[in-house]
Amino acid sequence: MSSRVLLHVGTPKTGTSYLQDVLFRNRRALASAGILYPADRFDAHFLAALDLMRLPWGGLESQAVGAWDTLATKVRKHDGTAIVSHEILATASRAQAGRALASLGHGSGTEVHLVVSVRDLTRQIPAEWQENVKHRAALSYRKFLEQVRDPQRDSRIATWFWGVQELPELLERWGHDLPPERIHLVTVPPPGGPQHLLWKRFSLAFGLDGLDLDLEAERHNPSLGVPETTLLRRLNRAANHELEPADYRPLVRELLAHQTLSRRRDSPRLSLPPEMHPWVQEVTSSWIAEIERRGYDVIGDLHDLVGAPPAFDYVDPDHPDEAQVAAAAVDALKAVLLESARLKRREGELQHELLETQKALERSYLRPTYRWRERTVRRLQGGRLGGTALKAYRRLRGRSSPAA
Amino acid sequence: MTGPDTPGIRRAWGWLAHLRDGGTVPWQDWSGGGPAGGLTLPGAQQLELLRRLNEAGPVSPSLAVRVLEASAPGRGRPDLELVGAVDRRPFGPPPVDPADLPDDELLRVAGAILAEDVVAAGLPEPARPRTPRPWRARYRLVGDPVLAAPRRADLIRRGLPPGRRGSVVYVLGTDVAQMTVDAWVARSLSYGAPPWPEFLAGARRRGTLPPAADPLRVCEEWAHEVGRARVAVVLDLDALPRLLRVRRPPAAAPDLSADAVDLARRVGQVLGLLAVPPQRRALLHEVLVPRLAAHPGAPLVLPQRHLRWARREGRRVRDGLLGAGYAVHGNPDGLLPVARHGVPEPSDAGVLALAMRLLLEKKAP
Repeated sequence: MSSRVLLHVGTPKTGTSYLQDVLFRNRRALASAGILYPADRFDAHFLAALDLMRLPWGGLESQAVGAWDTLATKVRKHDGTAIVSHEILATASRAQAGRALASLGHGSGTEVHLVVSVRDLTRQIPAEWQENVKHRAALSYRKFLEQVRDPQRDSRIATWFWGVQELPELLERWGHDLPPERIHLVTVPPPGGPQHLLWKRFSLAFGLDGLDLDLEAERHNPSLGVPETTLLRRLNRAANHELEPADYRPLVRELLAHQTLSRRRDSPRLSLPPEMHPWVQEVTSSWIAEIERRGYDVIGDLHDLVGAPPAFDYVDPDHPDEAQVAAAAVDALKAVLLESARLKRREGELQHELLETQKALERSYLRPTYRWRERTVRRLQGGRLGGTALKAYRRLRGRSSPAA
Repeated sequence: MTGPDTPGIRRAWGWLAHLRDGGTVPWQDWSGGGPAGGLTLPGAQQLELLRRLNEAGPVSPSLAVRVLEASAPGRGRPDLELVGAVDRRPFGPPPVDPADLPDDELLRVAGAILAEDVVAAGLPEPARPRTPRPWRARYRLVGDPVLAAPRRADLIRRGLPPGRRGSVVYVLGTDVAQMTVDAWVARSLSYGAPPWPEFLAGARRRGTLPPAADPLRVCEEWAHEVGRARVAVVLDLDALPRLLRVRRPPAAAPDLSADAVDLARRVGQVLGLLAVPPQRRALLHEVLVPRLAAHPGAPLVLPQRHLRWARREGRRVRDGLLGAGYAVHGNPDGLLPVARHGVPEPSDAGVLALAMRLLLEKKAP
């Protein structure tokens, strides 16, 4: 049984993709230090989280059946420290959190620590809108903000947003009966801070200091600018009803958003409308007071949650500079053209391979003994004795497939 | 729901104990108190579902525990606190009067428990199909999945599997309005579908019938494979025994009410995380559907406001089939929508009532 489990449950947009990428790629180095990151694929913990929370995710959930129990079993079998990390765990219910903690060994002798990475709401609110857009949402920034501010919080947007972002409530759900010293908050430094400061804080929280890890990230969740997000939202509105989720993911989210539009770094960045700052400050102050009162371990500075003051050059994504959107659209179109050309080439290659296979198949059909062999096999399959003889023959020949 | 030992919290624990004992008093009318019975109180959704179950019939202790410990799956409101039990805090969702919760919220919890029941029941032993009859007709049954799939399965059981060289492809169909409904039913009972109004709105936006509800499209696809001469449309299902050279007509799908299909759709969503896709489909068809079929109710029909569109589509399909020269068994005008008895959409209240009946009919272990 693991002696110590570090369970990282969020929040989204706090460098979690980078952290998980480092952990995944350095599994061997971690293992040599007695630390288990139990994943045979990059998104193993994401699938486990879907399974735990029974959360449908555009068809991906079919790959998640039983994933949490598999993960928890690996953790329990490991003798040492284990790390589990995924940000969507932030939205788990109390019962699901309780089940997760128990399955990882809490209450049975394992020292479970909860890690929550947190970032100021002035960055999280626009980032969540952008994430929604990257997951097919077509609602305007104004409507998104209205729903987030609605005190009833009964919309799909508000439910998810507060479920993953409202720190005191999230920590209460996940904190369960863990003592406060086992609950660690990693704050994301303000923009413009020293590079690698966030990693240093993660490293401290997960006990990775002193390990020789490759920190070059292959995966991260890059952000988009104002015109790029607007373009994506318009594409969603136009194509959502015709584009299947399985096609949306590689074509829109990966090809367009991550590989193309996120590389446009000169466009204005998304930010919080200046008039929302006072409300956000009020909410944040109440959170900071509550977290201080509870006495959690804070790695970083709780006042990082206050965020930057309103931007002087705020750009409303609902009324963007159309020339910038058009420029982003040209880049997107170019990427789609290049991808189409690549797929066309690949299609040609596959057609050629298919043709060659068909020819080979025809050649084998033309052999005079083929029909005789086919008839014999069919006859043998029809009877019990023949079937047994055929099985024995195949076993002797070393072929496992029962098909002729 | 945690917190200090206040009169509100004691009242909530008292209500929980009352519900566990089979009580039905609504939260707003409850005034008794009780000691804390655990670390946290269940959410308002779980408590109200248990109260409604108590109203509907005797609830076994094991079911009561399962309801109280259940989590609503998927995206939606979190477990909510009871108004009057705790003060409104500066964070967290506002407390609610459970009586005000929409049926949809209670259904999320009920659907999750039903999905667990379906998985626990497991698939029945597959019936061994009879040895294929060598003299059987060479056929394939495709088209409207609600018409074709159960008949095909029945024929396989009877030793009359489809396929073999030279098979005639029979595209089963009925009026396009019903086939649109059937397309949604089939998806709800397999890999999942959006709610009926959303599904329908999608079809209307695209302006075309769902692929499974368009016999012309199905015919064209098969004609591409086997040639037009070997593709025939069957609108008169009574003609099937003659076409397939069997005495007994192949078995049809059981009738399901609109609410039953919607409940299956919701349970299927949760099953998507409990079973791999082929098993999910089998569990829905072989475990849940027989239970749902035992609770008859009004079937789903295409809402009146879509009939003009359906008529236009029906005419397009009819003219296309006749123009292309496909053999049609039955009256081609049978593709045009006809008046049918039913409801234009499932109701959350009806679906919840059905879910509760199914939960209650399960015997305590």
